[in-house]
Amino acid sequence: MASVFHRAQLAVPVACILILGCVLPLAVLVVFSVFEVDLDAFTLVPAFSGQSWVQMFTNPVFAFLIGKAVVSGAGTAVLAGFIGYPIAVSMTRLPVLWKGVGSIVLLTPLYTGEIVRIYAWRVVLGSEGLVNAALKWFGVIDEPLKFLLFSPFTTHLVLLYNNLPFMVLAIWISAELIDKRLIEAARDLGARPIDAFFKVILPLTTPGLAVGVFTVFALAAGDMMTPSLLGGTSGATPMAMIDNLFGTAFDWPLASALSLSLLVILFAFATGFVTILLRFDGARAVFRRGTL
Amino acid sequence: MSRLVILTLGLAVCFFYLPIVVLGIFSFNAASTMAFPLSGFTLSWYADLFGNEAFLGGFVTSFLIAQPVGLLGALIGLMAALAVTSPRMRLRAAFAILVLVPFLVPKTVLSIAQAMLMSWVGLGRGATALILAQTLVVIPFTTTILAAVMVRLDPRLEEAARDLGATPWQSFRRVLLPQLSVALSAAYSIGVILSLADLTISMFLAGRTQPLSLIVASEFRRELKPDLNAMQVAVLVLTALIVALTEINRRRRLRGQLAHVRDDL
Repeated sequence: MASVFHRAQLAVPVACILILGCVLPLAVLVVFSVFEVDLDAFTLVPAFSGQSWVQMFTNPVFAFLIGKAVVSGAGTAVLAGFIGYPIAVSMTRLPVLWKGVGSIVLLTPLYTGEIVRIYAWRVVLGSEGLVNAALKWFGVIDEPLKFLLFSPFTTHLVLLYNNLPFMVLAIWISAELIDKRLIEAARDLGARPIDAFFKVILPLTTPGLAVGVFTVFALAAGDMMTPSLLGGTSGATPMAMIDNLFGTAFDWPLASALSLSLLVILFAFATGFVTILLRFDGARAVFRRGTL
Repeated sequence: MSRLVILTLGLAVCFFYLPIVVLGIFSFNAASTMAFPLSGFTLSWYADLFGNEAFLGGFVTSFLIAQPVGLLGALIGLMAALAVTSPRMRLRAAFAILVLVPFLVPKTVLSIAQAMLMSWVGLGRGATALILAQTLVVIPFTTTILAAVMVRLDPRLEEAARDLGATPWQSFRRVLLPQLSVALSAAYSIGVILSLADLTISMFLAGRTQPLSLIVASEFRRELKPDLNAMQVAVLVLTALIVALTEINRRRRLRGQLAHVRDDL
């Protein structure tokens, strides 16, 4: 008996849990999306109706909301890439003993709840908050800046704040994996630091960048609380619409159709971004050597 | 380290900790509106906090829900990590993607899908549903933490144990598990922290259970009051405490192992 069991088989119960708990509920959305609602009895009636899908494709508000989520997620991912890159590269220069501290300092803000973060930013950006008070103190402004809170600016600043650690972490790990001798060799052969960066470090960290972009895009595009509590009138998201259709409007078929469309489009864009990033030579070199 | 590196990291730390520090400052500020300039030092918001029964009740609920989430998350993460790092694992990429599904699907969509399915088949929402749903979301994190440690372990130790006649269970219990104890406690801590921090899943699956985050969210929509600040700081301190204890534990173990090696030499 002893040789029959192997730890790879532990994948079976875990896969069952995940399929039952996550994949099945998402798959059942397909079924719910063709059902009908009996609004008099407040029940879901099994049917084969394309009504919710017709609504989904004809009412432009749904396409608009999904498009907005994609733009928001992509914008946050690009910003996080540009800001996270120097942070991650700087972290590789830390002395070994400080790297553990660095990772804790980086990850601790992630552990604060969504509501704590949103709340804290309201205190920072409000009309009597830290930023406005400081600007007034220095005499830069007379009236508080209104756009700081409840605007697309706020939403994206906080989306960036929420997701930047994931980007830094992904790039940092792949930068740590680079063989330092490659950089030294480049320098010995006369490359300036800037050349060594663009010819060695940047290409070899593209897999990390790809992981970061995928993660940040998915998380930022799927965030409902930040836009709805900090975005003011600009805070509408497909997620909030799904919540509304599910809870208030009791239109489960349409909520299901919208959820599915959102998932498919987000996944398509996320894989698209990753494919583009992994086409660079550096990424191929990393995968060929099997360091990732 | 060059000046540029220090400057970059300094700015990053400022950005990451600015809102947290501001919260902390206002929780000690003697004014009921949160506005600059500050008006003086007080502890009364913390006193209010401990007198607020709704908050205390919510905290106990959150704490009780977080424990099973941490334990189940660590256990399932351990199984998933053992499987994904096993040399005999087939369909490794597909399994890894499956593990990441709860992390990548927007939580709102996943929770609503779960809520719809549950009410369609007639299961009630409440503490059990909340614990299970939070556990699913924690699995990607715990699996990553444990798998990252497992790939760095020396496979020869396990092979040696097996060659010397240990059953798979014995080699797991006596060889692998001791090397994983720190990573397991880290996985448990992450589960607890993510459960305490969760709001989205609670909104859809908590039923009549009222965890702290839901109580705070409903207060938040009404008005901002400094006792909420005090409460957020209290939650943050608790979180930081869990992180610090996990890290201290890791360092102590590490030092213990080093001492062992030194004795053996």
